[in-house]
Order: sequence, then C-alpha cells, then structure tokens
Amino acid sequence: MQDRIQFSATINRKKIGPVDVPKDLMMIEFLQEYAGMNGTRLGCGQGVCRACTIIVDEPGKGSITVPACVTGVTWLNGKTIRTVEGIASVDDKGVVHPSPVQKAFLEHYSFQCGYCTPGFVNSATVLMEKLEKNPVPADDVEKAIEQQLEPHVCRCTGYVRYYSAVRDVILKTPGLTTGKRTKEVANNG
Amino acid sequence: MAKANGKSKWIKGLGAVAVVGVAVAAGLYLAGSSSGDIPPASVDFAKLGPQEYDVLYKRGEQVFRAGDCAACHSSPQTGAELAGGVPMVTPMGTLYGTNISPSKEHGIGNWSADDLYRAVATGIAPGRKVLYPAMPYASYHQITRGDSDALWAWLMKQRPVEVANKPGEMQFPFNIRPAVALWNVVNRPAAKEFDYTVNELARGRYLVDTLGHCAECHSPRTKVTFAMDTSRYLEGNTIEGSYAPALTPGALGERGWTRDDLVKFFRTGLSPQGVMTFRMASVLDHSTSHMPEADLRAMAAYLTQNQDMPGLQPKAPQTQVNVKGENLYVGLCAGCHGVQGEGQPHSSVPMSTNTTAMFPTPINLIRVIREGVEERDLAHGERMQTMPGFADKLGDEEMADLVNYMRQTWGGQPGNVTASDVAGHVRTIEHSK
Repeated sequence: MQDRIQFSATINRKKIGPVDVPKDLMMIEFLQEYAGMNGTRLGCGQGVCRACTIIVDEPGKGSITVPACVTGVTWLNGKTIRTVEGIASVDDKGVVHPSPVQKAFLEHYSFQCGYCTPGFVNSATVLMEKLEKNPVPADDVEKAIEQQLEPHVCRCTGYVRYYSAVRDVILKTPGLTTGKRTKEVANNG
Repeated sequence: MAKANGKSKWIKGLGAVAVVGVAVAAGLYLAGSSSGDIPPASVDFAKLGPQEYDVLYKRGEQVFRAGDCAACHSSPQTGAELAGGVPMVTPMGTLYGTNISPSKEHGIGNWSADDLYRAVATGIAPGRKVLYPAMPYASYHQITRGDSDALWAWLMKQRPVEVANKPGEMQFPFNIRPAVALWNVVNRPAAKEFDYTVNELARGRYLVDTLGHCAECHSPRTKVTFAMDTSRYLEGNTIEGSYAPALTPGALGERGWTRDDLVKFFRTGLSPQGVMTFRMASVLDHSTSHMPEADLRAMAAYLTQNQDMPGLQPKAPQTQVNVKGENLYVGLCAGCHGVQGEGQPHSSVPMSTNTTAMFPTPINLIRVIREGVEERDLAHGERMQTMPGFADKLGDEEMADLVNYMRQTWGGQPGNVTASDVAGHVRTIEHSK
C-alpha cells in the first residue's frame, strides 16, 4: 500500500477532496488540520471518552457514530459524514438555528466546560433519528438514552442535565415514542 | 402348529436377548455409577487442632484456586463465587454450574470429606448421583486425597449461599442423567492419586492436567462420546464458540511463548502474545491470578517441558497482502493498535506479536473484532481499555478481508478466509451463546 491516499468525503453536505493525506491519518486530524473544522474535540485519543464523536450516514444502513480520534481516513474515504458544525441549520439570511437537541441542551444548561458537548450533540441526534424510524414506548426513553449516551464521558459530571435534556426533547417531539408516559421523574434541570 | 412353535421360539429368543440387554445395561450402570474404593481421609478432622485446621484451610483455598472451581460455580448475576449458575453450552444442551457453598438446602453443606472426594475424583455425588462430565472429574481423577480434604475444609468454612440450582437444559437422550454412567464406563479414568512432590515438572503436570484441567478445553474431543481425545492431548480445540489454542511445547514455541511470558500471562492476564479473553478471562479472575508464583512457574515449566523456547519471533509478512483488508485495518484498528501493529502499552495489545492471528482458525479474530472486549481490570495492576465491537460496521466480506490482512501480516497464515467462512464461524459463535 502507498503511504498516502487521496481522501474525499461529503462532510456536512459539502463535497471535500480529493486531498492528498497520509494513509494513517486519523479523522480528527483531517477535520482540524486539513478541513479547518475545530468543533470536533480531541479527548482521550483512544476512542474511550467519545468527545470526538462524528456521524457517518450510510444509505440504506442509517447513521452510526464513530470516534474520530481512532477512526482513520482510509475507512471514511468516500463516505458521508456529519460533524457538530453540520447539526444546526442556517437559513437564507445566514441565521443559525440550533437543532432541537442543541436547543434542549441550551435550555437545560446541560454543559459546563462544554468540551464533551459536540459528542453528546451528535450521539443524541443519531438517537432522535433512530427513534423516528423505531419509536420506543414513552416509559422506555431512559433506557434508550442510556444505551446511546453511556459511552460518553463528561468530566464536569454533567450527565444528569444532558440526560434530562435528551429525555425532554424526545418526549416533546411527536412520533419518537409510543403510548403514554406513566413514569414521573424529578426535574433535575 | 410348527408355525406357532417357530413364533414362540422367536419370542423366547427375543426375550432372552432383552434380559441379557437389561442385565448388561444394569451392569454398566452399576459400574459407571460406582466410585469404587476411595483412599482413606488424609486427616482425622475430629482431632484437628486450630493451627492444623488453619494450615489445611489455607491449602484448601489454594486447591480451590488452582482447580478453578469458581469459574463454573459462580453466580453470573451477583458474582458470588460458590452460588453456581454459570452456563456451559455443549452440543448436547446447556448445563449450569451448581451451588457448592455449604448451604444445607441448596449446596453441599451435608457432604462429608469422602463425599467431596468421590464427586471430584469420580463424578459421583451422594445418593449415587452421576455428575455430567462438564464437571471435569475425568481430569480431577488424579487429585490427591490430601488436596481434596483441604478443599473440603476450606469450602465448609465459607458462607452458605442460599440460591437454588438451575436445572440443566439438555436435549434428549442426554437429559437422562443415569445414562452418564455408561459414558463413565468408557471414558472415566480410575481415580488415582498423583504424586506431585517429585520435582517441579511433576508439580506442573499436576496443576495443568489435574487441578487446572487445561486439557478439557485445549484438547480436541472425540466425535462419538465427546470425551477428551487423549491421543491429541493439548492440540487445541474450538469450544463454546472460540478456539482454545494448542499448548504443546512445539505449538507454544511456534507462537513465540517463553516460560517467563507464560508466567506473566497467568499472573496478570497480559503478555506480548495477547490478553486473556473469553473463558480464559474467568480463569484469570478466579484462578491463575491468585496462584503462588512457584506454581505458575511449575505450570510453565511443564507446558514447555523445560525446553529452550525461541521467544518472540514475529512472522515475516507475506509479500502480497489483502489491500482492502489493509485499508480496513488502518481505518478501524490502527488508531489503537498502531499501523505496524505496535499497540499501546497497558491500553491496547500489539498485533505484531499477538498469537490470535497465528491460530489455524480465524474464529477468535472474527469474534473479537465483531464483539469487542469490555474494559477490564486484569490482575496485579494490569488493565485493558474497551475495545469496541465492529459487528455493525463490517459485513462478512469486509471481515474476511480484514482477517486475511491480519493473518497474512502477523500470523504467518494464508489469506484464504472467505465471506462464507466468516458466516460459518459467526454461526458457531452465536450457537455458543
């Protein structure tokens, strides 16, 4: 194998590349050093803390999250990717409209230092999209959130507010859950 | 009239055959469900002073650890070591480890030291109850009466766990427990105490063959009775959806093992050759990490037969490697395991000296890549971070490419694994759950 590859991808709906890069480049380095996108955070560098989570959209398969710090460009070559910069929408006048997940995080003040937030935003977004296709009973929302967000580490320990925000936005969005909610949960922010 | 006579002779003949058949079956049952003569107790428990009991108790704990009893007799839910409940999936059905705590209702609280020896060395529990050979009495048959008595002394002082046993789910006819007696007639060696005091090699052999019962997983099994194939002792075997590799001195040397590395692997669960996974992870947790270093050295000495081992010798990569597999490796694995397979100390294992790619079957490689490995504290300060599973990212074709690349680069193996081979291995893995 050659030491370099020509990397192309669709990132946040824009085609990028081909860019000549080392074959062993990790995606986070590509995003920050080559594409100038620094919203994706380098945390542990070992795929453990999930601060660097990005979304890979595969036609027919749906969307999955991957840690950009240990996922190399050779695997992402040609794929369709979303980073935290692509989650909010921008209207014709250039006004940025946060996504429902981002709004919920703002309303719940879910972050403290905010370093892990891009990863949480991306994972929660994928969860919302999964539930659109396969709604869960309203009482099982916590389980679904835990399954999706469990690998994410927040060193400020802001989990309660992150989880509350995601629970709220899921329950308020029609079509993501079935049946009526019978569980009562204390409002933890 | 002649016809009637002929018929009656025929019936009589058939009756005689049936009687002989029943008599033979009864004889076989009696032989297979008998424990025969057992050696006398090594101590008189009634006369033991507190200090002598203490010595016996400590020795009993060592026997319990070296015998790896807890790996099968723990609760998968609570982790209670003697509660039982660990499932063992066999081609004939699933069995569950029993409660071996001193609970009088659910465990072995009413057993005498004789009863324990009979169960461990001959597979016969009180009331002539034949145990399934999943309890490795075919290996434990050489346990010394002294070790068995020490084990009894230790077990009886543990806290009783009041958890009922879970009945096995064996398929017909294997659910007819007394029939195990017939298996015993053919496959059960006579209980015979092993003298392990001769030298280090003998001690090692006792630990490997008897208490550690390593051959139960690491030897192929016969097709007819599913007993250990003693003619292919420690030659490696696929069991419960993973490959228990060959442990002969030649095979160990071929894969780069040394005595020191074996000791390190037994003690910490980690060595340059890899990390303990699958069933070996519980062997580490409950057994080898607790064993005295001298015993681990004896095991390593026996397994290598005290031969000079060449040590780590990474395989020469093949000149042509699977390029799609290389791309997958660099894209999905190299972030942790390094482009050259160098790994990261105490975090992710190196691939270049790892033995998994060297095995004759790719099943373990496929399983680890598909399922990942949970973050684990190993032992004596070693730990490994989470390895994620890639089942949702790799189809059979891609898995075959990746596995071929790894086997060609680090395993000294050909890149001939096909997508349908992968699908077959995945079926074997899923069947074991």
